[in-house]
Amino acid sequence: MEQTISLVGCGQTPFGEHWDKSLRDLIDEAITAAIDASPCTALDIDMVIVANMIGERVSGQAHLGAMAASMLPHHPPALRVEAACASGSIAIHTACSLLESGRAQNVLVVGAEKMTDASNEEIAAALMGAADSELDAPSGITFPGLFGLVAQRYMHEYGLTREDLSCVSEAHHRNAVQNPFAQFRKEVPAQQISASPLIADPLRLLDCSPISDGAAACILSNTHASSIRIAASQVSTDTVSLAQRPSLTSFNATREAIAKALKEAGVTRSDLSAVELHDCFSIAAIISLEDMGFAQPGTGVQLYKRETGLRINGSGGLKACGHPVAATGIKQIIDVSKQLSASKARWGLAHNFGGTGATCCIHVLEHANG
Amino acid sequence: MANSAPLIARAQKQRSENMQEGVILSYTTVHNPPEGFPSSPRRVALIELADGKKVMGLVPGNAPLAIGLRVLPRMRMTQVSRQGLRRYEICYEAVESVREKQEKFPGYIIALTGPSGVGKSTVNKLLTNVVSDYVQHVPIMTTRNRKKGDGKEYRYVSTEQFLELKNRGEIIAATEIPSRSEKRWYGYRASDIEAIWEQGKVPTVITEMQLLQDLARHYGRTSILSCGLLPPGQNKRVMLSQLLHRLRNRGRDTEESIQDRLRNAEEDLKFFDERKDLFDFVFVNEDLDALIGKMKDCILSFIKPLAPQQETTL
Repeated sequence: MEQTISLVGCGQTPFGEHWDKSLRDLIDEAITAAIDASPCTALDIDMVIVANMIGERVSGQAHLGAMAASMLPHHPPALRVEAACASGSIAIHTACSLLESGRAQNVLVVGAEKMTDASNEEIAAALMGAADSELDAPSGITFPGLFGLVAQRYMHEYGLTREDLSCVSEAHHRNAVQNPFAQFRKEVPAQQISASPLIADPLRLLDCSPISDGAAACILSNTHASSIRIAASQVSTDTVSLAQRPSLTSFNATREAIAKALKEAGVTRSDLSAVELHDCFSIAAIISLEDMGFAQPGTGVQLYKRETGLRINGSGGLKACGHPVAATGIKQIIDVSKQLSASKARWGLAHNFGGTGATCCIHVLEHANG
Repeated sequence: MANSAPLIARAQKQRSENMQEGVILSYTTVHNPPEGFPSSPRRVALIELADGKKVMGLVPGNAPLAIGLRVLPRMRMTQVSRQGLRRYEICYEAVESVREKQEKFPGYIIALTGPSGVGKSTVNKLLTNVVSDYVQHVPIMTTRNRKKGDGKEYRYVSTEQFLELKNRGEIIAATEIPSRSEKRWYGYRASDIEAIWEQGKVPTVITEMQLLQDLARHYGRTSILSCGLLPPGQNKRVMLSQLLHRLRNRGRDTEESIQDRLRNAEEDLKFFDERKDLFDFVFVNEDLDALIGKMKDCILSFIKPLAPQQETTL
């Protein structure tokens, strides 16, 4: 980071099924909460960045930058970014760039997704926009299907069992019990996960993050101070289609992004005490732990089976918190900051990816009193 | 949208390319297909086709699937539109025999492909030097005459010997490079590659179109970390003149042989265009130091996911 970028205010809606709220209502609620929690007034905001993936398709609403800015009294400049499930973290990355360039001093970043207005089939088709429309989508595969291919291959290569896989969602659900913003705040035993209906074998219903409504917002500033700063913000990309990758069981974008992020923050893996990672499907959590270097290939699940110094998805992750696509990346940043503040630990990391790992964005957060 | 006429027309173009047999790399059954597809479960597999390209294809039916299973393409009616138009698509059908070599992932092979004169040997030498703990060069079997400037990378055999090894299946990748002056075969032995794997290292090979495809067929496309190497230049003409310049400068070849090489290079460049799917990374050889650094990072990130000092973290 070229300068000190502080996280000065956070707010979010609970994630879940909000039948009484539109996309606009969700954005408004998160923005209001973030400004209320910050030392700024609405008039201090000099840039708004909105993250959203399927607004046009589900709500018939594009042009979300101006829509969000119009919720502030002075209508500041605004733009919208999209990188599938990584939209939220890409918005934070964009905000950091604008702050570093001197173009803005107080940037409001909001990610929102309204998903429950559409049928499951429509949502499945809309989410396929994150895959390759010429190479993947024509086969009629879905995102659970794509990760089903990944999981099938991973089990073949490393001998991961069904019981192993269920440890992941079990741990995430356990963590979410304490999170008032989570969609599913209850423990789910591994046996129940292993017996849930098949969605795309070997993945079952409780391996998959749910369809959710929600919004999350935060304010990044280089004029106001706070105890949490963004120490690194790094993006890497890979081919959009799985069919063009050398490996199905490892995502190169994650490996590149983590290396760059650790270097930028000047930390090692052992300095990190909290990680929010992108568990859109249980297999993705395992692969992400390996790609981030916390475990050797084939052994990621072991981190769910024994105590380590690293807290993984303390919020409940995408599985239990819900996954309103573009809100997730921002919600992860909020959760890491909360965990650092509560534990007085110094370093935390948020790992967010889009599609089958075609965009990966990693942020490292530092707590000043940690 | 998925059914608009121009979109279907474009998709049909690709169809003939995908009418090949292949091997299943992974598979799944999608129980809740997206909007625009029939609602019954769809069995989809990621298939590596015979030419090395990977595709997502339907594998209808109930016969059990397995990774490594061989599949053959078939045309099938998959959808009837509301207007009554029938849509035919390629589906794949599993055949009994399992290709054993594909059963287990053998390990990575780093392949370096590029037109003659682009600097494959130099890059390969420097690269194997900087990451010598992890990679080792595979000796090239060749029938060509020993030349001044040849390194230790060649093993010289007679044409008869070469063809016999090839027929016995010991040389698993072979190519004949056309030349006016001599008949030249190049190839790789499976035993050389496998010996390097046994040492816990990753073999590196210098290839061209034929060798690359042979290796992908033998060990599976997934095993090949395929790096393309191109000369700088925005178009083919600039690239070729760069190559000509380099070939003349290094003074190893006669003018006649340079003309041969250039003709082959033109074919190679065409191959880069036509078979993008056979390359995982494409590098431009402009600044050698920068290139080696970039390739090193790229390759290490694959073959060595954890750096030694990072392994001790947890």
